[in-house]
Amino acid sequence: MRALLATTGLLLLATALAPAALAGNGGFAPVSPESPNAERIHDTWIFVSIFIGAIFVLVEVVLVTFIWRYRRQRRERFEDGPQIHGATSIELIWTVAPVVILFLIGGFVFYKLPGIADVPRASASGEERLEMQVTGRQFYWQYEYPNGAVAIDTLRAPAGVPVRLEITAPDEDVIHSWWIPALGGKIDAIPGVTTETWFEAERPGIYEGQCAELCGLEHAKMLASVEVLPADEFASWLAERDSEQASVGLGEEEWQGACAKCHGLGGEGGIAPLIVGSPVLTDPEALEEIVRNGRGEMPAVGSGWSEKQMDALIAYLRENPPSGR
Amino acid sequence: MAVRVEPRTPGWQRGRVASWLVTTDHKRIGILYITTALAFFVLAGIMAMLMRLQLAQEDVGLLGPDRYNELVTIHGTAMIFLVVVPILAGLGNFLLPLMIGARDVAFPRLNALSYWLFAFGGLVLMLSFFADGGAAKSGWTAYAPLSTQDPGNGQDLWILSVHILTAASVAGAINFIVTIHNLRARGMSWTRMPLFVWSIYVFSWLLMATLPSLSAGLTMLLLDRGISIGGWEAQTNFFDASQGGSAVLYQHAFWFFGHPEVYVMALPAFGIISEVIPVFARKPIFGYKAVAFSTVAIGFFSMLLWAHHMFTVGLPNSLNGFFMVTSMVIAIPTGVKIFNWLATLWRGNLIFETPMLFALGFLSIFTIGGLSGIYLAAFPIDWQVHDTYFVVAHFHYVILGGSVFAIFAALYYWWPKMFGKVLDDRLGKWHFWFLFIGFNITFFPQHMLGLEGMPRRVYTYSNGEWEGYNLASTIGSWVMAIGLLFFAWNVERTWRKGKRVGNDPWQADTLEWYATSPPPAHNFDDVPYVTSARPLYDLRRRLREKDGYKAPL
Repeated sequence: MRALLATTGLLLLATALAPAALAGNGGFAPVSPESPNAERIHDTWIFVSIFIGAIFVLVEVVLVTFIWRYRRQRRERFEDGPQIHGATSIELIWTVAPVVILFLIGGFVFYKLPGIADVPRASASGEERLEMQVTGRQFYWQYEYPNGAVAIDTLRAPAGVPVRLEITAPDEDVIHSWWIPALGGKIDAIPGVTTETWFEAERPGIYEGQCAELCGLEHAKMLASVEVLPADEFASWLAERDSEQASVGLGEEEWQGACAKCHGLGGEGGIAPLIVGSPVLTDPEALEEIVRNGRGEMPAVGSGWSEKQMDALIAYLRENPPSGR
Repeated sequence: MAVRVEPRTPGWQRGRVASWLVTTDHKRIGILYITTALAFFVLAGIMAMLMRLQLAQEDVGLLGPDRYNELVTIHGTAMIFLVVVPILAGLGNFLLPLMIGARDVAFPRLNALSYWLFAFGGLVLMLSFFADGGAAKSGWTAYAPLSTQDPGNGQDLWILSVHILTAASVAGAINFIVTIHNLRARGMSWTRMPLFVWSIYVFSWLLMATLPSLSAGLTMLLLDRGISIGGWEAQTNFFDASQGGSAVLYQHAFWFFGHPEVYVMALPAFGIISEVIPVFARKPIFGYKAVAFSTVAIGFFSMLLWAHHMFTVGLPNSLNGFFMVTSMVIAIPTGVKIFNWLATLWRGNLIFETPMLFALGFLSIFTIGGLSGIYLAAFPIDWQVHDTYFVVAHFHYVILGGSVFAIFAALYYWWPKMFGKVLDDRLGKWHFWFLFIGFNITFFPQHMLGLEGMPRRVYTYSNGEWEGYNLASTIGSWVMAIGLLFFAWNVERTWRKGKRVGNDPWQADTLEWYATSPPPAHNFDDVPYVTSARPLYDLRRRLREKDGYKAPL
């Protein structure tokens, strides 16, 4: 009786949640897609859900019905039921039917796959795709634009243009995983391996995600976001970032991405020591030494940084020494 | 009949404690396995509760990242290597010789060695919290190069512990295989073997086939971390990209073992369900051969789908497609089992005592875990949900809602055979309902968290939208904890004033119920000739036909 009530309750719940599932909110489907590849993954999810929902309802309804229908009632405690040992024809049916369903699911995946995995060369209106280098590091994301401009953690991209991401991690780093749910699936950033993914967002906005592969102590703080800008705004941002004057902007991103996750935004300390007033911060040579090579438990967060990147951090710290809060 | 002379037991081995320390009796070793594993279950469960508390809201600040990563790692490793597999091995130990009508396992001393290796391996893992730098922090998968870079000793002890546990498992697996091949009662052909024995048979072969791959991976990991023996130092670079190694290689070595390990935990659970449901439905299992053959099929295919754990490492899509197909293929024999269990219920005389409740709970929960696995097999969908709380929900539906529910069904079902007393049914029902409801409150919302973008293995989060589901999950973990306290209370109460029962309190079908409860050291005075997969049913029927004997009610 109670088994029946509980299972029925569960079924009612599932039915009540079905509309939310189809609407794609509340966590019943991947987050609302903002890029064609994410959209096609979303379609695949819905397609698979139809079969999974049907099988789920079938099995649970049969289970509850049998529990109710064949409960003991007034029969004797050990009275035997009919001695049915099986039926080959039924076995064949429930072996073959799933084969058909899985064939359909597999077929649909391969039908959608090119639209998910293949990177378009240009947008429908003929805009050439943007080629980006993405590097996952403990515990920040570094982006390099074709013109050599660098950004940390927040990737700016033009709306309506396919963006191809070439993803890797430095040889001495660990595995990370790039993932912005609204812009498609995740792909690992592995030392010594280069992987690729892409997105093409129509609507300007900020799309958030985070590293999805355990990469050490501050894995939880390794957030990533993509800020999609109208094409002209993007162009002016890129030009500014590439110019000499903008280096403080980069320096701030470096401080927030590479330093503050462990030392705190105001340098007040966190899992790493307090660094407010540390002489290293104002001594460019000492700073460069520790950022490039790490020390003790501190990873070499700035190994491989260009001179320009290093100067940006030094300049930022000169103008904005951490104050503790 | 010839008088058998037992070798004299030295006096010091006869004590209450000493007799357990030196025992080679499969029943006592089985009970040792189960009690030790339950103790580890308490520890690993407390770790889970701490993590749930930390995640109840954003920035709770109960656990720092280092402590959280240690708990993530040791909780996972312990639940798999120290709880689920050893309890199943313990049940196999206790039941296998009884079910096939044997005196003991084929190698009783090897059996004892296997238990003691497990116990010490478990201690090494638990005590690694006190190591220099704390316990391992790289997850139960210990992916290189994160695991090779951790400077503390915890990771080394983790490798040592898993190595020891691997040796214990291999010894146990050899024992089970040899016992099943050689010690079956007269008349017990392969198709008259209890389905639990079938599942232990495939379980053992899976361990034999896949543990070497894990051992190789762990050894390479250890060497990559560097070893130093008496001043002689060596270090390899199997997984170090800067020296031409490959981090992905470790994942292949690990998952070639790691995925079959899931079925090592699931198959004996399937076996338990296949024993419990017929007895409490008063019917034979529907499609014995289909259920037995599907066990073998699952075992075989489980070794062909490891890379579905690696859909995001950038393998070619032709390879991803192959592993999607093999992952889906394994859904077919699993479905066959579920449908056969349902058909066994059909037209039965269902009795809802605690073992049956857990078996039915298993059916409803495991179905969800199996179905969410199909999303994960379809690799573009996996690109979205991989390494998120969706996966955490999926494998808890399979391992906790599946294997652990089956383990509780088994404990309630076979408790009278182990200790001669039946566990209290009322407390058992409280235990079941708290666990069943708490389980679903804890883990169902985690599917949604994963789809909303919450990765697994994070010690905190900054997205306020995730707080609702996380809080529900934390509350559910407390409901489950209350359920488990009912179990502890039940065991204590039954120990003190449980009802003594006869050989066969459930009017069951298999040979272990022919022995007394608990069985004597030599198990059986005589073993009946086995005429079908249900020797005791046959026996009852013959008695009824001959003397008008009616089964005691």
